[in-house]
Amino acid sequence: MKQPVGHYAYESRDREFLQERIAEFEDQVKRRLSGALSEEEFKPLRLMNGIYLQVHAYMLRVAIPYGILDSRQLRKLAHVAQRYDRGYGHFTTRQNIQFNWIALEDAPAILRDLAEADMHAIQTSGNCIRNITSDEYAGAARDELMDPRVHAEILRQWSTLHPEFTFLPRKFKIAISGSPEDRVAARFHDIGLLARPSENGPLFRVFVGGGLGRTPVVGQELFDSVPEAELLATLEATLRVYNAYGRRDNLYRARIKILVQTIGIEPFREAVKAELAKMDLSHYRLTPERVAAIRARFAAPELHAVDDADAVLAQHQKEDPDFARWVQSNTHPHFDEGYSIATVSLKTPGDIPGDVTAEQMDGLADIAERFAFSELRVTHLQNIVLGHVRKDQLYALWQGLKELNLAAPNIGLAGDIVSCPGLDYCTLANARSLPLARKLGARFGDARLQEEIGALSINISGCINACGHHHAGHIGILGVDKRGSEFYQILLGGQAGDHASIGAILGPALSEDDAVAAIARIIDHYLAHRNEQESFLEMVTRLGKAPFKEVAYETV
Amino acid sequence: MKLFNLSQQHIIPAEEADPVSLAELKEHPEAYAVALEPDESVEALRPFLAQITLVVLHFPIFRDGRAFTQARSLREYEDYKEEIRVTGHVLPDQAAFLRRCGVDTVVLSDDDDQTEWEAQLKRFTITYQQSIAS
Amino acid sequence: MKRLSHLSPDECVLLTAARLLDGRIVWRGQDGRWFDRVAQATCLTAEESAAALEEATAQAARQGVMGVYPVVARKGAPPQPVSMKEHIRAFGPTVHPEFSYAPQPEASS
Ligand code: HEM
Ligand code: SF4
Repeated sequence: MKQPVGHYAYESRDREFLQERIAEFEDQVKRRLSGALSEEEFKPLRLMNGIYLQVHAYMLRVAIPYGILDSRQLRKLAHVAQRYDRGYGHFTTRQNIQFNWIALEDAPAILRDLAEADMHAIQTSGNCIRNITSDEYAGAARDELMDPRVHAEILRQWSTLHPEFTFLPRKFKIAISGSPEDRVAARFHDIGLLARPSENGPLFRVFVGGGLGRTPVVGQELFDSVPEAELLATLEATLRVYNAYGRRDNLYRARIKILVQTIGIEPFREAVKAELAKMDLSHYRLTPERVAAIRARFAAPELHAVDDADAVLAQHQKEDPDFARWVQSNTHPHFDEGYSIATVSLKTPGDIPGDVTAEQMDGLADIAERFAFSELRVTHLQNIVLGHVRKDQLYALWQGLKELNLAAPNIGLAGDIVSCPGLDYCTLANARSLPLARKLGARFGDARLQEEIGALSINISGCINACGHHHAGHIGILGVDKRGSEFYQILLGGQAGDHASIGAILGPALSEDDAVAAIARIIDHYLAHRNEQESFLEMVTRLGKAPFKEVAYETV
Repeated sequence: MKLFNLSQQHIIPAEEADPVSLAELKEHPEAYAVALEPDESVEALRPFLAQITLVVLHFPIFRDGRAFTQARSLREYEDYKEEIRVTGHVLPDQAAFLRRCGVDTVVLSDDDDQTEWEAQLKRFTITYQQSIAS
Repeated sequence: MKRLSHLSPDECVLLTAARLLDGRIVWRGQDGRWFDRVAQATCLTAEESAAALEEATAQAARQGVMGVYPVVARKGAPPQPVSMKEHIRAFGPTVHPEFSYAPQPEASS
């Protein structure tokens, strides 16, 4: 088999490991079904294999390490959706895919099928180090300093069934980016890593203690420049401190962010340094040879741009304004002038954000094969990115996407709504989030309207756990329960990235229809009163929430 | 009560061990076995380690993984070579993790099934980290 | 959830759980058996429900179900759980009508 572009090619030992893991889980399922394991004992074991018990059935969450899939893997996911689920899957903000209608008895067979394509569900849940997420433009973006995926793979391997860190106080999420723009929301992770090259090899800026959930916190810088050799030692040390001192008496106070807040970043840093001082660093050294060996298992795309790519693209854009609009919103500069990064929107107006049918998965796999070196990236905004597309082929690509009903020109715009599954599927929810996402998606579905509104992120969560990142949306929506009825709080002014901030609650919660109407008025107010070139977020930053609050509650 | 031996090292028989607490250790310089609570630091044992041949760590519930860090710290930072034992609520599914963090023995109740422990210990031939256990 | 002691005359209590094998939602009906249609759930008074809950919980493992709990519903055929969460459990996700479990009752207000 040819090596995959963009992700690590499994060796035989990686495949053996998956088989061993599946055999273990099969045995655990047997013990559960025989009654040898209680549900309380089984739960953390199934969670560490990505299996939740949700509203309607078991749910399986499959890992997509650092967000990269190849066509063969996407076809396998389509097969799982078709054979074991109801013909679709849901891509999440954590670069995973969830299947909502799984039977426990089928789970080992599904894991076997996934393993055929080198996929697994390990550590997609549970109080362990979760799937490592990365930058969706990795290895392709013009502004990138270094491709973070080789190190993401090293972290994936290091964290896989780590003997010391599999029963942590709470889940632990690590993200890594190599872009100066922080496209992974590094400051909203338990540990966020920003990689950059230097004369002496890669350096890592480390943030710790960020997170959303019921206590949103922007992560703080732990170290400015950790050398590559000490990357694993530094992570070990940080997790050792967390495992020993993180709270275990209260589920809601157990994340590392609470520990860092309680003792303060300075003492926390001292504790990590004290740990490092006790360690024999040579033992933990990440050697250049090891990095090179992992890198050798990543194939690089062989780019062959044609000379007149720009002219061909310009001609297509001129001939077809719908295509031109899609290029405007859904492509991003590639480091090679003849190529483009294309984002496939999984937010077709009126559909469920992140849901993809098995047919669409197969179709996307074909498209990735034809146009993008068989490589697909799942984004933390629930879309799919094709990293390397020849500019002169964008038009054919777009036509293919149109046939799959996946050509919405709305990336970064009002229709690009992030939403968690909410009460329709999630046992923890207070309110539904998907119907609201659909209503808003339809309300702002018109491409021209979205273009006029410009950059806008709407994020919806069905409860305070914040899986839809409502704190980080320019407009955030949080479902709450008021005496048994569903209500929605609106937040304004959140953002991820380099200027991460947490949205402020606008006022009392509204019913679903009132919330949709209030958001429409907020946006109308922005359109009517913005300064030249001013984005929605800039206007909120300039004026504060007061004028928006006034219009939001105008008629309520 | 019976012991499951993870490491195949020489171990102290269950009925012989009579561990004292960390607080008691200071008054009983002759003690050779100590039981550490999950919130107690292994560094506190340092002055006594020369005479100690058994450290017992405790799992209040199997999800509470502090003993993994304690065991590994004893081996790595304190260079402790004698027996480490765990008590409390542990699952056979944790056997390899315990072993790889340097634990030698697990206290089981008399009706616990050892075959599950043996199977789990052998389950993985491939690991992605180095282990402190030799 | 709504307190069982404050049922109105047109309300009753159903018992629900999840099936161990496939995680599907089940409702306790005739002869203490579990059914996957809410229409087959037995409507209990608050007093009956306490004893039934105890019995069902004790039998749960043997019957292959887990997490038994009571749900308040408006009487009818089928009974209509009062909270949105239980409504979704009884009739299916509101966003996927093609996955609905049962014809929904006529809207009654
Ligand atoms: C339906 C099953 C799901 C359940 C039961 C669930 C449960 C939770 C819980 C309990 C938390 C809070 C943990 C804490 O703060 O300690 C959480 C956080 C989170 N969830 Fe989910 N979730 C689900 C689905 C999703 C989906 C579909 C997404 C993506 C769209 C997602 C993305 C996240 C993210 C990014 C966080 C992190 C917030 C943070 O780290 O502070 N989850 N989830
Ligand atoms: S935010 Fe709440 S409702 Fe939404 S998926 Fe997460 S836990 Fe469920």
